[in-house]
Amino acid sequence: MANIAPARQAPATRRALDWGVVRGRLGQVLLYAFLVAGCVATLLPFMWMVMGSFKSSSEIIRIPPTFFPESPTLENYRTVLNDPHVPLGRFYINSTIVAVSVVVLELFTASLAGFIFAKYEFFGKNAMFAFVLATMMIPFQVLMIPSYLILAKLKLIDSLWGLIVPVAVDAFGIFMMKQFIEGLPSELMDAGRIDGASEWGIYWRIIVPQLGAPMATLGILTFMYRWNNYLWPLVVITSPDRRTLPIMLTWYSGMQYQSYDLTMAASVLVVVPVLIVYATFQRWIVQGFALSGLK
Amino acid sequence: MSTFVKGMRFRRRRTRAGATRGHGLFVSSALTPLMLYMMFWTLLPMIWAMLLAFFEYSPKHAGGALLGLGGDNPFVGLGHFRNMLGDSLEAQKFRISLKTTLMFAFLVLPLNLAITVPLAVAIEAVVARLKTVFRFIYFLPTLTSSVGVALIWGYLYHPQRGLFNMILKAVGLPSQIWLSNPRAIYLGVPLVLWAVIFTYLWQDMGYNLVIFIAALQGIPREFKEAAVVDGANVWQIFWRITVPLLQPTLVFVCVMTMLSSFQVFDVIQIMTENGRPQDQARVLVLDIYLNAFRYQRMGWAGAESLILFLIVIVVTIVQMRILRTRWEY
Repeated sequence: MANIAPARQAPATRRALDWGVVRGRLGQVLLYAFLVAGCVATLLPFMWMVMGSFKSSSEIIRIPPTFFPESPTLENYRTVLNDPHVPLGRFYINSTIVAVSVVVLELFTASLAGFIFAKYEFFGKNAMFAFVLATMMIPFQVLMIPSYLILAKLKLIDSLWGLIVPVAVDAFGIFMMKQFIEGLPSELMDAGRIDGASEWGIYWRIIVPQLGAPMATLGILTFMYRWNNYLWPLVVITSPDRRTLPIMLTWYSGMQYQSYDLTMAASVLVVVPVLIVYATFQRWIVQGFALSGLK
Repeated sequence: MSTFVKGMRFRRRRTRAGATRGHGLFVSSALTPLMLYMMFWTLLPMIWAMLLAFFEYSPKHAGGALLGLGGDNPFVGLGHFRNMLGDSLEAQKFRISLKTTLMFAFLVLPLNLAITVPLAVAIEAVVARLKTVFRFIYFLPTLTSSVGVALIWGYLYHPQRGLFNMILKAVGLPSQIWLSNPRAIYLGVPLVLWAVIFTYLWQDMGYNLVIFIAALQGIPREFKEAAVVDGANVWQIFWRITVPLLQPTLVFVCVMTMLSSFQVFDVIQIMTENGRPQDQARVLVLDIYLNAFRYQRMGWAGAESLILFLIVIVVTIVQMRILRTRWEY
């Protein structure tokens, strides 16, 4: 009896297992089909942009349209890069100045304030930190009009300073740095004090060197946000030569005739640098977004 | 002063979190300027925005001594808010924009979740190396400049030269005038609004996807294994285990998605040329922007922005309530 029962059960078990494998395989195929289809949908607009940028001005207005360019040409890029009305180099410089300045200022202020909130006790600490958190709740659009009026009083309208100054201290950055620095051992600071370091020295020589990872994350997120920002430069900047790249892009779409070949070439030139930064620093960027959940 | 602070070192006490007392000079000299600076760019504009809402303010007028309020920029009390309920043209535009914004937000939220939750679960189920590849690709649109996105999609939607009509024709469906046909209304929503919603979803889903993937990684493997042993299928595991355990994340994501879609501007302003056709895509921030910076009616725009702020606060408070009551299980 004892010998027969397992022998009888064995084939049944194997058949069940086989079914499981078949169903598992089918599930896997469906899973990958779903994911790949999603990827195609995600990448299609990028493809359309790149294809459009290589089409000649006669091909791009052809009806019905083509997907792949019949005779790929670099003419659009040449036109966009050499257009005397649209000095692209100037806009790259403007965007870089703004984004890099904000990143440097914000990393400094956020790490300093985050350090103090994390490692010191002082009167009013909780109230101040609550204030920092509360400012994160205010939508930018509510502050937009008065901020513009303040900039006007400071005579910073239509200047790149107007894009840098209001965002030099950022609540989210302070919050993020505080969270990270709280995890650093306080013994490090004590060791510094015994060696005679001042509190500034502790910040600069002991804390800042530990902040590589959060600074990279915050820095890259801030850079991308400022590089892509549209509404605030749209409000602040009026002179053509002080525009940043996103504002320059709309110049192409605002033209009387929509020349999609040039628009797409210009879009490629604006979009691709960010994607290269993303590909290089993928780990930090994705982690940063997941941690922050901030939009 | 600094010797005094140094002398204090021996009496320094340590709190539970390892934070140190004393060093008042360092703390006050470093933190005070930062806090004042922050107040200058958040608290001051916040108060100013609240004041603006009660004045008929335009930067073109000289106005009174304090912040240019008063004088040619008269105090109107609750006038703007009363006006919002009235029949004036700007009130109608405001109400249209409010309605469009709500429609936009309440369509984006379920569509976004319907895409991102299954996608995150699917990405979590593949081998580690491919996981990175998929995450990389799906996150690309999120980092693309929204102006770039708007231009690319404007071209995709072009009635004669766009890819979408090319695809529709290929499968035998009638082509659409996506962005400028006010009479095309599907499921009670204007086509132009659907068009910008698709664009917005395409750009915005990366955020939620990444958050969900991170949350899924936090669910212990044992839960699923136990369910498999008990004979649960994929569908049951998803609804009975994954979704309930994701609940805190879901609430958080819902609120963030909601709040950011109330503030939509870039894509719509560019793709629909300020909300056309017939203001079917006019959203609240667009209306605020146009009133403040095109028509110079900053008092009215300020009152509108306070309504936006009110909505944001209500949504946030609701979220806090839900999280507080339902978090323990």
